[in-house]
Amino acid sequence: MIDIKLIEECRGGNLNNFRKLVELTTPLAFSVAFRMLGDEEQAKDVVQETLITIWQKLNKIKSPEVYKTWIYRITVNKCYDQLRKRKRNPEIIADDSVWALISNKVYEAPSSELENSETSRIIGLLTNRLSPKQKAVFVLSELEEMSSDEISEITGMSKSGIKSNLHYARKSISEMVEKYL
Amino acid sequence: MIMVTEDNKYKSVINILKKSTPVPDSAEEVEREVIKRVSKIPHQGMNISDVTDFLFGWVYIGWVRRSLIAASIILVLVFIYQQGIILKQINYLSRQTVVVDGAASFNPESAIEKRLMMYKMNGRRFASKKITISEKQMEEIIDSVNALQIKYKDLINLINEDPELKNYIEKKLIENDHKKIKL
Repeated sequence: MIDIKLIEECRGGNLNNFRKLVELTTPLAFSVAFRMLGDEEQAKDVVQETLITIWQKLNKIKSPEVYKTWIYRITVNKCYDQLRKRKRNPEIIADDSVWALISNKVYEAPSSELENSETSRIIGLLTNRLSPKQKAVFVLSELEEMSSDEISEITGMSKSGIKSNLHYARKSISEMVEKYL
Repeated sequence: MIMVTEDNKYKSVINILKKSTPVPDSAEEVEREVIKRVSKIPHQGMNISDVTDFLFGWVYIGWVRRSLIAASIILVLVFIYQQGIILKQINYLSRQTVVVDGAASFNPESAIEKRLMMYKMNGRRFASKKITISEKQMEEIIDSVNALQIKYKDLINLINEDPELKNYIEKKLIENDHKKIKL
């Protein structure tokens, strides 16, 4: 749990306290970055950049609730930058092995958890057609289970924008799932 | 094998992804790298990026934010340039002679100009438009007036020191002008 006391201590430039903050923040930032990018190495880079930005701008934080929204916002913005660098591939490559993996998990072992590499392949396939904004809304809403208010705080999008982006993302993924699964 | 309906396929896939929270395989390595990089950065208070974030933090689209920052910088530079020109004009105008109600008022630079100005403003002996003498001539006039004033003071002192002379001069003045003059 990230509390205001820890943040206050980090503001003074105490690296030992910041180490604790890094430990608590890394899983949150990594989860969002990995799910948005579908690439572990890039997600790690984003997490590093996010934590460095946090260290540099820690004076702005006033409460733990704001801190959580803030780290998600920084992470999402850094992911946007990474996604913009990539070339978007409009063609959907129906990778049979990935669909076989999804099929196996859905029908055979729904209780088992995915490895990072498996998550990466599945997310990469399902969100291939989505724009960075749609990816962000999909990950935050569907996978991180955040409310539209929280997503609005993080992404700066209006509620109607979130709704339409989420609708498109759901529709796109549903169509693929219906078609190939 | 589990039976999954068409409608639930999407939910099933999402549930599997939701359940599998990704964890970095080497979280310690990430943390170590962050601490290493952070320890090289001096912990600062307010910097330029803080100011831009404070002013333009509400803009989430990168290129819009950069455009706004650029536009604001241009506006500030134009404002500074404009203020510079205005200041220059004010300084230029403050050095010019301004004619108010027929009397010239200006910023005198030399002692002569100051004295001339006082002379004009006090007595209005001549209109500003009729001044045709040179600066040298004016200097001579002022010098002679000053010399005359000194001589006049000396004369008054001499008269005051000698009561007989004072009475005599008073009598003569009364006689000449038919009126009393008190020295």
